[in-house]
Amino acid sequence: MATDLTHIILADDDEDDRLFFTDAFEELKMSTAVTTYKDGVYLMDYLNHPDATLPHILFLDLNMPRKSGMECLKEIKANKRFDHIAIAIYSTSASDEDIENTFVQGANIYIKKPSDFGKLKKVLSNVVTTNWQYHTNGLNRDQFLLKL
Amino acid sequence: MPLKSVYNAPWFVKVVFVISLFVVFFIAGIAYKHITDLSKSQSLVVHTYKVNVELEQILSYLKDAETGQRGFIITRDSLLLQPYLKSRNNLNNSIAELKVLIQDNQEQQKNLRELSIAIDQRLDNFELASSYIFNKPNNAAQFDKVFLLGNDYMQDIRNKLNEMIALENGLLEERQASYRSTLKFTPVFLYGFVIIVLIFMYLAYAKINTNLEELRLQNHQLNVFKESTKQSEIINKHGSWRWNVDEDSFHFSDNLFRLLGEEPNAFEHTIENFMHFVHPEDVKKLSDSIERMRHEKDLPFVTYRVIHNDGSIHYLKAYGKSTIDRDGKTQLLGTTTDVTEDIAHYNTLELRNQELELNNKELAAFNYVASHDLQEPLRKIQTFLSRLKEKESDRFSESGKTYMARIDVAAGRMRALIDDLLQYSRTNKADAVLKSSNINTLISDAQQDLAEAIVEHDAQITVANMPKMLVVPFQIQQLFANLLNNSLKYRAKERAVIISIEYVLIAKSEDERIASGHFAQYHKISFTDNGIGFEQQYAEKIFTLFSRLHNKDEYSGTGIGLSICKKITDNHAGFIFAKAAPDQGATFEIFLPKRQ
Amino acid sequence: MNLFIKFDFNTVCTTVLEQCLEQLEIAYKIVGFGEVSFPKPLSEAKKKEFLALLAPYQIEIVEDHKRILVQKIKDAILEMIYDEDTEVQVKSSVYLSEKLGHSYGYLSNLFSEVTYTSIENFIILQKIEYTKQLIIQENLSLTEIAYKLRYSSVAHLSTQFKNTTGITPSAFQRIIAKRKQNLST
Repeated sequence: MATDLTHIILADDDEDDRLFFTDAFEELKMSTAVTTYKDGVYLMDYLNHPDATLPHILFLDLNMPRKSGMECLKEIKANKRFDHIAIAIYSTSASDEDIENTFVQGANIYIKKPSDFGKLKKVLSNVVTTNWQYHTNGLNRDQFLLKL
Repeated sequence: MPLKSVYNAPWFVKVVFVISLFVVFFIAGIAYKHITDLSKSQSLVVHTYKVNVELEQILSYLKDAETGQRGFIITRDSLLLQPYLKSRNNLNNSIAELKVLIQDNQEQQKNLRELSIAIDQRLDNFELASSYIFNKPNNAAQFDKVFLLGNDYMQDIRNKLNEMIALENGLLEERQASYRSTLKFTPVFLYGFVIIVLIFMYLAYAKINTNLEELRLQNHQLNVFKESTKQSEIINKHGSWRWNVDEDSFHFSDNLFRLLGEEPNAFEHTIENFMHFVHPEDVKKLSDSIERMRHEKDLPFVTYRVIHNDGSIHYLKAYGKSTIDRDGKTQLLGTTTDVTEDIAHYNTLELRNQELELNNKELAAFNYVASHDLQEPLRKIQTFLSRLKEKESDRFSESGKTYMARIDVAAGRMRALIDDLLQYSRTNKADAVLKSSNINTLISDAQQDLAEAIVEHDAQITVANMPKMLVVPFQIQQLFANLLNNSLKYRAKERAVIISIEYVLIAKSEDERIASGHFAQYHKISFTDNGIGFEQQYAEKIFTLFSRLHNKDEYSGTGIGLSICKKITDNHAGFIFAKAAPDQGATFEIFLPKRQ
Repeated sequence: MNLFIKFDFNTVCTTVLEQCLEQLEIAYKIVGFGEVSFPKPLSEAKKKEFLALLAPYQIEIVEDHKRILVQKIKDAILEMIYDEDTEVQVKSSVYLSEKLGHSYGYLSNLFSEVTYTSIENFIILQKIEYTKQLIIQENLSLTEIAYKLRYSSVAHLSTQFKNTTGITPSAFQRIIAKRKQNLST
């Protein structure tokens, strides 16, 4: 089912977190292709390349050097080319108000990084399947909000 | 009382004087009339006497003539005829005189005419009798006849004269009677009027007197006030000044001089003299302000510095307002206050505030950064731990597994602490924006946050209907979530959890615990559970940070949750109190101000 | 002793297929790699025999009709949720098996296999999506929506909403409202 491959990108400056992330997807055995970038600048450079394969889901750490996740979010939301990307904020923690604010700015998913690997796998699988549901069932992406 | 109000009316004295003036004029008029009447009656009397005298005169002349004639007849001496000859002239004169005197009296004129005819007859009779003596001395019988006729004539004249005198006297009597009657009533009238005027005058006098007394009293009070104003000017360090804008003249109060470090009236009251004391850097500011005052006639607060002769610098604050005085001249009344101490205090306070704010900010930032940044390594420890457990636990010895479990528990506790601390530091007043919020929605959202635990412990929660309130929604939701969490955590093991949330609007005066509040009305929300409760003596302690009433092995609290509740109610200018007894459940009473 | 063997996958598979089909006496034609066409429609019994023969080789029929059936399940579910006139008082499992003529167990397995999610989850997801739509577009209150979607209580709906999306219905409403506000300013 090569056509059903889900493209996933993560931008996170923390090496451990990138490791947990890729490990989790490896163990999940879902048909996903995961790419990681270590900050917002690298990420945007890739996305802005005209030939880039755009991800289905983009995970953004909020706290990154050079370009923060919030800045990336705003840039992406301002560009029509990225309309079909589901944006997942992947962050340590934030107040409810800050979380709401990321949603208001256009994020679809907010993930508080879990402190348990099993839970991380569960969360990521939930994100992919939910996104898959939106993707295959023609649901209204504007009302796609998920907090995990 | 209308009479009293008339008496007290400011126009009363004026009216009394006007009335009195009119009455005096009236009396003068009457007096004048009576005096002219009197002099008229006087002249009437004189007139009557004159007429009578003339009439008597006529009789006297006739008697003289008669006497002379009789002498002549007896002596035949023609010399004796002299009075008779003279009397003729005199009679004519008297009659002419009388004619003038009685020209306004028809009856007397008629009488006079008859009298003069009678006199002529008598005189003719004299002629005739005399001629008998001269020409026919022997015709005695004829003579006697003529002579006797003369006597009869004389009688007629007497009668006429008496008649005239009687008439004149009667007339006099009649007139005097009419004058008497009027003269009899006028004194009574005049006396009455004078009495009334006197009463009015007395009232006016009394009024003036009381007014004067009041004036004196007010004057006294004014003096006292002036003195106390002077005192207060000294104590409060302010001075006052007047500026007659039209004449450009100033008057400074005594203390204004003292504010400049001078004795009262140490220099002439002019703006130039005043300006000598003003700090050179502030001269322009003050001059501009004065110039503006001249046009706008209202000086906004202006603060400037003055330099005393001893070199010390003082801050003065001035305010002026224009008034129109009684002569229609513009006058500016101003107050100047020495605010040196205030400014010093303010500056210190400002400095302290800044320091405090900085400290608070640093503290909050530290708290946030510490708890936020501590999360990261902790999360990794926990994640690696979970990986270890999952992948490698088969290879661990039993004690190794126990250590792992212990590490897991300790890390979990640290996570709870950090999460709570982070929440505490997020509950900052600075970023709180009050919004009109549906409290029922906030409570139900708080329930959603704890849905799992609520279902797990089969908690029954009843919530009263609440009005909308002006609150920071996130914080209030947090408040209820923490209270719910608290109740679920400290539940009594042997019974199902029952929580009820009641609401009532109360006035501040209804509860002495909130007497220090700044609002008139408060929303009182009572949150009651049936958990393990606590000793009432700990009711205040439970709201302090990190305070716990139970061993952490028994109950998994961090001692932060209720502190956050307290902080949130503080942020809302509200209150939170706890009431409890061991194993009797606890009630948390939240007071949130009713804002408009 | 070791022997090194070289073989062609395609030939092996094709040979297995040919043997099985000939054994069952079915007319066939191998079109290409992994596709067989039959001149006459295959009976269900024959097909089962064929599958049984292939099973030891771990060869399966890739059935498109599974996907079609899944689509039918989805359609039935959507109809059940969106059509207010359908007085569905019975459980959705009964409703689906009656409507589609398969046992619920079969449908359920098939659905999970194709979509990575359960029928129950799909129903919840769809209901919550419909709830969102009603909140945003129709401005209905949660009470009205709970009634419309046949939830037992408002609390049940809002709990399901929170469990599915991670946020409360009021937060959802707030976020969408703010987004609109952002767009208009």
